[in-house]
Amino acid sequence: MAKIIGGLGTSHVPSIGVALDKGLCDTPDWKPFFDGYEAGKEWVREAKPDIAVVVFNDHGNTFFLDRVPTFAVGVADSYNPADEGWGPRAIPPFEGATEFAWHFVDKLVERHFDPLVCREIEVDHGMQVPMELFFGRPEKWPVKVVPIWVNTIQYPIPTPQRCWDMGKVLREAIESWPTDERVVILGTGGLSHQLQGARAGFINQDADRAWLDGIAANPEHYRNMTREDYVEQFGSEGAELIMWLVMRAAMNEKVDLVHKHYYAPASMTGAGMVVLENAA
Amino acid sequence: MANQSIPDTPLFDRNGSIRGYRINKMAMSLGQAANREAFKADEEAYLDRFGLTEEEKKAVMSRDWHEMVRLGGNLFFILKISAIDPTPITRIGAAQAGMSHEDFLYHRLGKRAAHG
Repeated sequence: MAKIIGGLGTSHVPSIGVALDKGLCDTPDWKPFFDGYEAGKEWVREAKPDIAVVVFNDHGNTFFLDRVPTFAVGVADSYNPADEGWGPRAIPPFEGATEFAWHFVDKLVERHFDPLVCREIEVDHGMQVPMELFFGRPEKWPVKVVPIWVNTIQYPIPTPQRCWDMGKVLREAIESWPTDERVVILGTGGLSHQLQGARAGFINQDADRAWLDGIAANPEHYRNMTREDYVEQFGSEGAELIMWLVMRAAMNEKVDLVHKHYYAPASMTGAGMVVLENAA
Repeated sequence: MANQSIPDTPLFDRNGSIRGYRINKMAMSLGQAANREAFKADEEAYLDRFGLTEEEKKAVMSRDWHEMVRLGGNLFFILKISAIDPTPITRIGAAQAGMSHEDFLYHRLGKRAAHG
C-alpha cells in the first residue's frame, strides 16, 4: 500500500513567489526566511516522495464568488499556474496524481464528504509557493500532486473539526491505495496575518511559535478551537491555519517534529514551517 | 459566525460578499491580460462595463483601499487592481490601519530597520 512519509506545514505568502522571481532571496529582508527552509528542502530530497497532497485555499484567482466550494479536490492530468494579475509565473505545470486523486474522491464520498471534483483548473500561489519552498525550482516537478482547496475566503468557512475529519479520510485513502507510492502531505497557510480592517498588519509571534510546537505535540488543542478563536489569535486571514489540521490528522497521534522555522514579518505575515514524521 | 465579533476585524461574510460583488467581479477579471489592457486604456469605461456605482467607481479610481473594503471589496480580489499600478500590499495595509507606511512597517508589522 501507499505510505505517508511525512507531513509538512508552511506559509504560502505570495510575496515569497515574487522574491523568488525577482531574485531577492539573498536580500536582508528575505535571506533569514529562505535560509530556514533549507532543512525542509533537504528533508524532501532525502525522503523522495512520489505524490504531494497540497492543502491550500484559492485567493480569488480560480474560484470567484459566483460559486464557492467549501472543499474541492483536483483530479486533473495537469495544473497550470494561475495569472494573479502580474502575468503567468515562469514555473512548470504540475502533473496530477490522477488515479490516486479519484480514489481519494471515492473515499471522501464514502465517508460522507461532498467535494467539488475538478478536472480542469489552475492553481494559485497557495499551492505554487509551498511547492517552491520544499522542491525548489526544478525544470519539472519531481512529484505528482493532488490539490485540495479549502474555502477560507467567504464565510462560513469550514470548522477546524471538519478539516481534521478530512485528514482522517485522506489517511484512509493513502493506506488503502494499492501501490508502493510515497506520499507527503502539505498543510499550508498562515501563520498570523490580517489584511483587512483597522487591525490589518496584526501579527502574533507568540501564538505562531506556540502553533509550530503545538501542531506536533498537542493538535487536539487546535482541533478544539473555534473559528472565532483562530481569527482572534491569528488574524482574519491567519484562520487559514485550519488547513494544517488536514495534514496533521492524517499523521499518527504521535509525531516527531523534525524541523521547524519561524520568521516575521514576511511581507505582512508571520511565516513558518514544520516537517513532521510519524512516530510509533 | 457573527461579523464584527472581534474589533477592527471585518469577516468576509454574506453581507460583504453581496455588497462587494460588482467590485470583486471587476477585480477578478483583471486576472486576464486583455482585461488589464482595457482597464488601463479607459478605467471608467471598464468599471461601467461591470455596473459599478458612482461611489464604487470613485473608490477604485482614487485607489481608496479603505473605502473599497468598506464597500465589500475583498483584499484577495482587489489585489489585482493593485497589481496594475503597482501598489505594495503593505501600503494597502497601512491605509486600512490608518497609519503612515513607515509606522505600519516598523510598529505594526515589527519589521526591523534596514542596516546602513
